[in-house]
Amino acid sequence: MIIQVPPTVPVVPEQLDPSAVPLAVPEIVWSAVAPALVLMIGGILLLTVVSLVRKPLPSWFHATWTVATATAAICATVPLWQRVQDNGASSEMAGTVGLDGFSLFVTGVICVSVILAALLLEGYLRREDLVGPEWYVLMLLSASGGVVMASANDLIVLFLGLEILSVAVYVLAAMHSRRTSSQEAGLKYFVLGAFSSAFLLYGIALTYGATGSTNLAGIQTFLADNVLVDNGLLLAGLAFMLVGFGFKVAAVPFHMWAPDVYQGAPTPVSAYMAAGVKAAGFAGLLRVFVTTFGPTYREEWMPMVAALAVLSLVVGSVMAIIQTNVKRMLAYSSISHAGFILLGVAAASDAGTSAALFYLLVYTFMVAGSFGVVTLIGRKGDGRHSLEDYRGLSRARPGLALVFTVFLLAQSGIPLTGGFLAKFYVIGAIVDEGLYALAAVAMLTAVISAFLYLRVIVAMYFAGPAGAEEGSEEPAEFAGPPVRIPAAAGLALGLALVGTLALGIVPGPATEVTRDATAELTVGN
Amino acid sequence: MRVEMFTFLLAGLICLGGALGVVLFRNTVHNALSLVATLFGVAVLFIAQEAYFLAAVQVIVYAGAIVILFLFVIMLLGVDRADQMGVDPIVGQRTAAVVFGVAILGLSLVALLSGPEVVTGTPATTAALSSDIPDVNQIGEALFTDYVFAFEITAVLLTIAVVGAVVLARRSDGPVIDEDEFDGTALDALALEEPSDVGDPDQDTADGADPGSGADETDPDDLEEASR
Amino acid sequence: MADVLWLIPALPLAGFVLLMAFGRRLGDPLAGVVGTLTVAGSFVVSLFALFDLNSLPTDERVVQQTLFTWIPAGGFSVDIGFLSDPLTITMCLFITGIAALIHLYSIGYMAGDENYSKFFVYLNLFVASMLLLVLGDNLLLTFLGWEGVGACSYLLISFWFTDEANASAGKKAFVTNRIGDFGFMVGTFLVWMTLGSINYLEINERVHGGIAAGTATAIVLLFFLAATGKSAQLPLFVWLPDAMAGPTPVSALIHAATMVTSGIFLLTRLNPLLEEAGWANDVIAWVGLATALVAALAAVAQNDIKKVLAYSTISQLGYMFLAVGSGAFVAGVFHMITHAFFKALLFLGSGAVIAAMAHEQDMRRYGNLRKYLPITTVTFVVGWLAISGVPPFAGFWSKDEVLAAAWDNGPAGPVMWAIGVVIALLTAFYMTRLVAMTFFGGKERWREPEELPTDPAEAAAAEHEAYEDAPDAHGHHLTPEHTPREPNWTMTVPLVVLGVFATVIGLINLPFGEKVDYLADWLDPTLAHAHEALSAGILAVLAAVAIVVAVVGIAVAWRVYAQHKGSPEKIELPAFEHALYIDDTYAAVVGGPGEAAFDGVATFDSEVVDGAVNGVGRLTQLTGRAVSVFQSGFVRAYALAVAGGAVVLLVFVVMRMSSS
Repeated sequence: MIIQVPPTVPVVPEQLDPSAVPLAVPEIVWSAVAPALVLMIGGILLLTVVSLVRKPLPSWFHATWTVATATAAICATVPLWQRVQDNGASSEMAGTVGLDGFSLFVTGVICVSVILAALLLEGYLRREDLVGPEWYVLMLLSASGGVVMASANDLIVLFLGLEILSVAVYVLAAMHSRRTSSQEAGLKYFVLGAFSSAFLLYGIALTYGATGSTNLAGIQTFLADNVLVDNGLLLAGLAFMLVGFGFKVAAVPFHMWAPDVYQGAPTPVSAYMAAGVKAAGFAGLLRVFVTTFGPTYREEWMPMVAALAVLSLVVGSVMAIIQTNVKRMLAYSSISHAGFILLGVAAASDAGTSAALFYLLVYTFMVAGSFGVVTLIGRKGDGRHSLEDYRGLSRARPGLALVFTVFLLAQSGIPLTGGFLAKFYVIGAIVDEGLYALAAVAMLTAVISAFLYLRVIVAMYFAGPAGAEEGSEEPAEFAGPPVRIPAAAGLALGLALVGTLALGIVPGPATEVTRDATAELTVGN
Repeated sequence: MRVEMFTFLLAGLICLGGALGVVLFRNTVHNALSLVATLFGVAVLFIAQEAYFLAAVQVIVYAGAIVILFLFVIMLLGVDRADQMGVDPIVGQRTAAVVFGVAILGLSLVALLSGPEVVTGTPATTAALSSDIPDVNQIGEALFTDYVFAFEITAVLLTIAVVGAVVLARRSDGPVIDEDEFDGTALDALALEEPSDVGDPDQDTADGADPGSGADETDPDDLEEASR
Repeated sequence: MADVLWLIPALPLAGFVLLMAFGRRLGDPLAGVVGTLTVAGSFVVSLFALFDLNSLPTDERVVQQTLFTWIPAGGFSVDIGFLSDPLTITMCLFITGIAALIHLYSIGYMAGDENYSKFFVYLNLFVASMLLLVLGDNLLLTFLGWEGVGACSYLLISFWFTDEANASAGKKAFVTNRIGDFGFMVGTFLVWMTLGSINYLEINERVHGGIAAGTATAIVLLFFLAATGKSAQLPLFVWLPDAMAGPTPVSALIHAATMVTSGIFLLTRLNPLLEEAGWANDVIAWVGLATALVAALAAVAQNDIKKVLAYSTISQLGYMFLAVGSGAFVAGVFHMITHAFFKALLFLGSGAVIAAMAHEQDMRRYGNLRKYLPITTVTFVVGWLAISGVPPFAGFWSKDEVLAAAWDNGPAGPVMWAIGVVIALLTAFYMTRLVAMTFFGGKERWREPEELPTDPAEAAAAEHEAYEDAPDAHGHHLTPEHTPREPNWTMTVPLVVLGVFATVIGLINLPFGEKVDYLADWLDPTLAHAHEALSAGILAVLAAVAIVVAVVGIAVAWRVYAQHKGSPEKIELPAFEHALYIDDTYAAVVGGPGEAAFDGVATFDSEVVDGAVNGVGRLTQLTGRAVSVFQSGFVRAYALAVAGGAVVLLVFVVMRMSSS
C-alpha cells in the first residue's frame, strides 16, 4: 500500500528517556465524563449498600435508587450541554472522550430508557418472586457503558464501552433463572455477541493498520490529509466494523438473535435492550461512520448501510406480520425500526443524524411503553405473550388497552404521535440526499407494518376467541388471572405515554435539541 | 530475514494446528491442550515482534491460568462425555460454514494484499515498532497517557463480570418455567393464589400453532432434569 | 367569529372524550343524547361560521386560523390551523347536519345494544376526524383526519364482529385504504418538495407557474390513488360492499354521506393543482366513469338491500369523479351534497326496514311493506325519485350538471355523456327494483317460509347463510308470522327531515342562469367556474334525454319487479352479482401468488428456524442431556447468517477497492 504522504507526516513519538522526562500524564477532567461516572458510582454504591446492610432492603428502594441515579446523570448532562453550546465541542482524557451535543443527547436517551426499565422492573421482580439489587446494578453499569460508547472518541474506548454495555445485558437477559427461555436467551445473546464483537475488533484492528491511529479525530485528520492509494485494508476494516455494529442494532442479516433474545429475556430487560442498547449501538455507528468516515469514505460505506437498512425494513416488517407472539412481534418490529434509523445514518448528513437521534428518543418512549404493557400482560411467569392473551383486554383493562393502542399507533407512525415525526424526519433527510428509492421503500414498509400493529389492536378490542362457537355474541372474554398494574409500572407507562404524545404534538423543543446535538471530533489537548 | 521468516512460519503452524485441534478433537481435554499450543504459538509471534512483555503475559495468564481453569472445570464435570456431533440439525450448515469461512479469509486476504508492497501504510502513532525503550515502559506509558480512560473503565467491565458470574451461579428456588411446556396450566399453577381458568383448551392449540416460537421443543423429562 | 372555528371539530371531540370517560355510566339513551347534542352544537357553530363568512366581501371569504406551530420552522414548518372558506363551510354544514340526524337516528337504532355507549364514542370520534379532514389548512392535518376517519371506519365496520369471517371485511377496508394512504403520503412529500409548503393556500398560490406539468400530473395521480382508496373507486372499491356488515347508521354516515366523499373533497381542495395536471384529469374522469358503470351493473343483481345501496354509492361517487375530472368542481360538490342527503335517507330507510324485518337484509324476503311502514315508504320513495333523477328532486339537478360537464369535456365528452346516461338508466332501474321488491309487488314474501332463492344455488346459499349468521341478525329470525312495525320517532324524524332536504336541496344550484346559481356563486372564491356554460338549448336537450332515460328505467323495472312480468334472471346476470368478478380476482391473486410469496417468508421461519429447533429437540431427547436448552443448534445458524452478511459486505468492499 502506497500512501502519498504530504509534509505533515503523523508524528512519531519522540524518543523519551524515561529517567529524565516525567511522564506526560494527560489532564483528567472528571466533569467531562460526569454522566457516566454518576451511573457507575450509583451502581457500585448500590451494590455496596445492599451488601452492608443486614436486612434485605425493600424492593422499591433499589428501583428508587436506580431512577434517582439515572435522573442525576441526566441532570449532569445539562451544565455540560450548556458548556458545549457556549464553548463548542471538546475532547478530554487524552482525546479519547468526546464532549459534544451528540454524546450528551444519547446519554439522555439511555438514561430515560434506564428509568423506564427500572420502573417496570420493580413490579416485575415482586411478581416473579425474584430478588436482588443486582438487576439494577447491572442495568446502571450497562448504561454507563452505553454512555461511554456514545461519547467515545477512540475506537478502543468505544469497544470497551460496547463490551461493558453488552456483557451486563447478556447477564440481565439470563437473570430470570427459573425461566428456561430466559437462560437460553442470555446464552444465545452471549455467544453471538462475542462472535460479532470479534468482527468489530478485527475491523478496529484493520482500521488501525490502515490509518495508524485508533483515535477517531486522528483517523479523520489522517484521511483528510492523505489519500490512500490502496484502501483495501481500510475498507475491509469498515466492513467488519459494520458487522459488529449491525449486530448490536439488530440490522438484517445480523438480526437473527433479536427475536429469540427479546422473546426470552425478562420483559423489562427486553424494553431496555430495545431502547437503551439500540440507542448506544446507533450512537457508535453514527460516530464512527457518519462523523469519522463521513467526509472521506461516504461513497464506500453508504451503500452498505443503505442495504442493511432496506433489508431490515422489509424483513422486519414482513416477519413481524406473521408472528403470533406479541413479544416476538415487537422484536421484529424493532428490527424494522432499526431499518428506519439506519436510513438516517445512510443519509450521512446533519439532518440525517438529527433525524436518527429524534427517532431514537421517540422510539425509547414507544418501545419501553409497549414492552411495559407486555410486561403486565405476561402476568406471573412472564409467559402470556400470545396474541390470544390480548383478546378482550379492552373489556378487562380498558385503560391499559387504550395506552397500548397509543403506543402501537405511534409505532405505526400516526400523526400527532412522535412516531410520525420520527419517520417523517428520517424520510426527509434521505430525500434531501436524493435517495428517493430508499424513501419509497421506507414509506412502503411503514404501510405494511401498520398492519401488524392493527392486528394487536383488533385482538384487544374486537376479536372473539379463535375457537369460540360461531355466532357467539359475547366479545372475547379476557383469559387468565387478572392483570395487576403496580404503581411504578403505571408511572413508567404514564411517562412513556406523555413522551410519545408530547413529541408528536409539540416536537419543537426536541427537534431543536437534536439539531444542536451534532457530533464533532476534536483533537485532544 | 531467513530466521524471522522461519520463526514466523513455525509459530504460525503451531497456532493454526492448535486452533484446528480445538475444533476437531472429540475429547475436551485434548481441546483444551490444543488451545495451549495456539496460545504458545501466539506468544512466539509476539516475541518475534519484540513484544516481550506481551509474550510473557500471554504465557502466564492465558496458557498458565485460564486454560488450567478450563481443565479444572472439565475434569470436575467429567471428561468421558463426548458431544454428539454426528447429527447436523440444519442441512448444509457445515458446508455453508466452511464456504463462508473460506470466503471471509480469502476476501480479507484480497483486501490486505491488494497493495503492491507493504500492508500498513503508516507507522503507529502510539508505539514504535523498534526503539531503545523497553516495551514494558512503552506499554506502561501508553496505558497511563493515551489510553488512561480505557484502562480505567476496564474496572467496570470486571465488576460486571464478577456480579454476573455470581448472579448466574446462584440457584433460585421455586418451580422452573419452561414456556414450551406452557399450556396455561404451568403458569396457572404458579398463580394459584389468583383466580384462573386452569386447563383452558384454547391455550394449548394456540401455543402449538405458533409458528414464530423460537424455543426448543423438549419433553417433560428435560424439564425435570433441568430443575435438578 | 372565525376564531371559534376550532370549536367545530372540538365539540364532537369533547363528546368523544366525555363518552369515553363516562359513557358506560351514562348508558342508554343518555350517552346517545350527549353524542347527538355535541354534533348538533357543532352544526350550530358551522351555521354561525356560514353567516360570518357570508358577511364578508366575496373575495375575502378565505379565513385562516392558526392555533399554534406544530412542527417548527427550518425547511419544513407546519401549523395546526384551520381554513374557513366557502368550500370548507359547505362541507362542515352538511357533515354536521347529517351527522346530527344520524346520531339521533342511532339513539333508536342502537337501543338495547350492549356496547351502546361505545358506538357513540366511535361515531363522535369519526365526526371529529372528518371535520378535521375538512377544516385542516394543510395536507398533514387533512392526512390526520384522513387516517382518523379510516380508523373509525374499521372500528365501526367491525363493531359487531365476533368471528373471523367478519373481521376480514375490516381487514379488506384497511388494506385497500393503506394502498391509498401510500399515495397520499408520497403525494404530500412531492408537494412539499416541489412547492416548499403543504399549506393549501400557499400550494394553490404557488402552483401557477411554479410546477412542471409532469410533476403536477404525478402528484395529482398520487392523490387520486389516495382518493380511490377512501372513495371506493376502481381498482380499490372492493371494500365498500363488505363494509356494509357494520351497523346501518354507520353505512349511512360514513359509507355514503361523508367519509367516502373525502377523496372528492381532497381533489377539489387542490383544484389549482388539477388544472396544471394535464392528462391526469382524463384519468380521473374515465376511472370515475368506469367505476360508475361497473358498480351500477353490480347493483342490478344484488339481493342484499344494503349491498344494492353500497354499489349505488360507489356508482354515484364515480359520477362525482367524472365531474372533478371534467373540471366541473362545482358540479362535483353539488352532487356530493345532494347525494349525501338522498343516500343517507335511503340508508336510514333501509335501516328502518331491516329493523322492522327482524334484521333480515335479503330483499327476496321482503314485499308489500308499504302496508306496514307508511312513513318509511314515503320517505324512501322520495329518496328513490331523487337518485333516479326525476325532477324536481335533488338528484336530477346535480346529476344533470355532472352529465352536462361530461358532455363539455373535450372531444371525448359526448362519449362520456352517453355512458353517463346509460349509468343513469341503470340507476333508475336498480333503485326501482329495490323499491318494488321491498315496498310494493303485492306479495309478502317472508310469509312463504321455504321459498328459497332460485339463483345459482351455492353462491346464493352461502351469502344467505353468511347474513343469517351475521351479528346484525342479533339472533332474531324472520318468521312467517312476523308483522313489521314502524320504528319510533327518533328514527322517523331524521327520515322525514332528510326526505324534505332530498326534495329541495337541488334548489341551491339551478341551471337557469346566474341569478339562481347560488352554490356556484357561493363557491366562487374557492372554485372558479371552470367550464363555460353550454347554451341553454343544449342543456335543455341533455336534461330531456336524462328525464326520458330515468322514466324508461323506472318503467322497465316496475314492470318486472312490481307487476312480475318478464323474468328477472335475464337481467340479474351472475357476472353482475359478482361485480364483474373484480373482487374475486383480487382474492385469487392475493390468495394465490401473493399468499405463496407470503408463505415463502413464513416457511423460512417455520421450516428453517423451527426445523432447527425441532432438530435440536430430537437431538436433545436422543442424548438425554440435562441442560438441553443450552445446546441449541440454531445459534450456529444465526452465526452463519452473521458470517454470510460479513462475506457480502466484504465482496462489496473488495469490488470498491481503489487499487490495481
